[in-house]
Amino acid sequence: MSKPIKPIKPIKPIQLSQPSQVTTLAQLQRNFISDCLSGKLRQDHNLLTKNIDSSIISAQGLMGIYQNSAIANITHSLILTYPVIEKLVGEAFFSAMCREYIFLTWPQSGNMDDYGVEFSEFLAEFEHAKHLIYLKDVARLEWAFHQSSLAEDAPITDWSTLAQASDILQLKFLVAPSLSLISSTFPIDKIWHLNQDNTPLDTEIEFADEQDNDTFIVLFRQQLKTVVLPITAGDFALLNAFDNGETFEKSIVIASAKQAGFSVDDSLKKFIELGIISGFVEGIATSS
Amino acid sequence: MEKIKGVGLGLRHRHFQEFIENKPDVSWLEVHTENFFSQHSTSSKYLAKIRQDYPISAHCVGLSLGSASVACPVREKHLQQIKKTIDWLQPSMVSDHLSWSASDGVHYLPDLLPIPYTEEAFEVVTKNINHVQDVLQRQILVENPSSYLSFNDSTILEWDFLAELSKTTGCGLLLDVNNIYVSAFNHNFDALAYLESLPVEAVKEIHLAGYSIDIIEGKEVYIDTHGQKVYDGVWQLYEKAIKRFGEVPTLIEWDTDVPELSVLLTEKEKAEAIIAKVLNEQVA
Repeated sequence: MSKPIKPIKPIKPIQLSQPSQVTTLAQLQRNFISDCLSGKLRQDHNLLTKNIDSSIISAQGLMGIYQNSAIANITHSLILTYPVIEKLVGEAFFSAMCREYIFLTWPQSGNMDDYGVEFSEFLAEFEHAKHLIYLKDVARLEWAFHQSSLAEDAPITDWSTLAQASDILQLKFLVAPSLSLISSTFPIDKIWHLNQDNTPLDTEIEFADEQDNDTFIVLFRQQLKTVVLPITAGDFALLNAFDNGETFEKSIVIASAKQAGFSVDDSLKKFIELGIISGFVEGIATSS
Repeated sequence: MEKIKGVGLGLRHRHFQEFIENKPDVSWLEVHTENFFSQHSTSSKYLAKIRQDYPISAHCVGLSLGSASVACPVREKHLQQIKKTIDWLQPSMVSDHLSWSASDGVHYLPDLLPIPYTEEAFEVVTKNINHVQDVLQRQILVENPSSYLSFNDSTILEWDFLAELSKTTGCGLLLDVNNIYVSAFNHNFDALAYLESLPVEAVKEIHLAGYSIDIIEGKEVYIDTHGQKVYDGVWQLYEKAIKRFGEVPTLIEWDTDVPELSVLLTEKEKAEAIIAKVLNEQVA
């Protein structure tokens, strides 16, 4: 497929233009963006038509290269953030879906880590995927995973000082910056695990449209790994209360209301060992 | 900050673990700066480990040096994020492209978009490069673009534009040999004349990559996809570049459908063999 270097030919002559015909760079760039964002490129509607050398390929065809390249770059970024969604719907469908999403939500900055937060809402409304009603929650899980992988590390806490607290019930426990809590009426943790690269291909999963029990998940980072862990309704409520800055006392009340027989001692020990609870501060009692 | 020499590889996520565990024989690595904006991220933790064993170069894709809106808040924020990452990473070289991505701070197209080569554009790019170099407090390298269209308003040749930019701003040049090859085919200019027009002392780094071929309206167009091996024609042009510019640090880039590391290492060895051949010929 490779071709030899072209022999030396005269350099393409410089095309001098009249100052009155020159489009300012700012206007040209506005037009370029406007054409690329306009969806289907049309020969008679391209703002840049008069600015481009279209002697061999039309302005529409040339602008299409850049439009497709930008969309491919954004789609690649969405694949990195939503690999399970891509696996669930297939590569071709995912790309087509992304194209629709991108025209609704172009990036606002060059930091692609921030791009794609509205994708779950888009999936819920997207006409051709509406029947896959669990997609929205799987996408929420994947966005949380993405955010967790970018989060700051938790500060190191000396837990031996916990025993010196004057009133442990008025403490406020701090959660790791990488923590995310997701609940769903679908078994999205199982769907997520089964669609990881190391999952055996012959593994099957069964799930109903609506489960008897909701799924509660905590995501957090342990060194280089982000963990997706199913938890109980009580644990979920406890961590959510901690995350909202509630005192230990109030958090126990909230968690116990969600789960009969909730054992706070077991949960607290487990979450401290996992690094999900990263510290504590002396709280001030507040009325509820 | 180690001086970079020899042939390096673009570091991609797929190979993080291999670089940490096996420490393959590669002179240096280049990263996309924008992928490490969060210094706490999992990716940054991997890079911090790899950084201990390899000199690093930082290649940016979003400084938008060709944007007409010089005081654009979106770009200024991006520049500050680049600075934070550069300060953390302490790379040996920092580079971006002669292109633009942001207009008026409203929308951002994550691609390397072409500029017309006019006096107005030259002033704009000069201001932007000066500003970036002032903020980063270091020289940056500016990469020649691959392009698929040319503007009727252009009055300056791309290679003259780059040579003059280097002279005016003190920036270095990152010579992407594949980009020259791609653009030379698409715009029917002479790739060798391009090479011979650039100032030898300004070229501080070379990129090599693969392209793909599309058919648009019945015409072949070379697309700079970085998803294949380097083509023979690009290797030939690279040999001529080494003859002209000397043993410039060279990078093998591969960004889409990234293969096993062994494929990249083979490409690296081909580049090393060409450098050795040219140097031997020059000694003889």
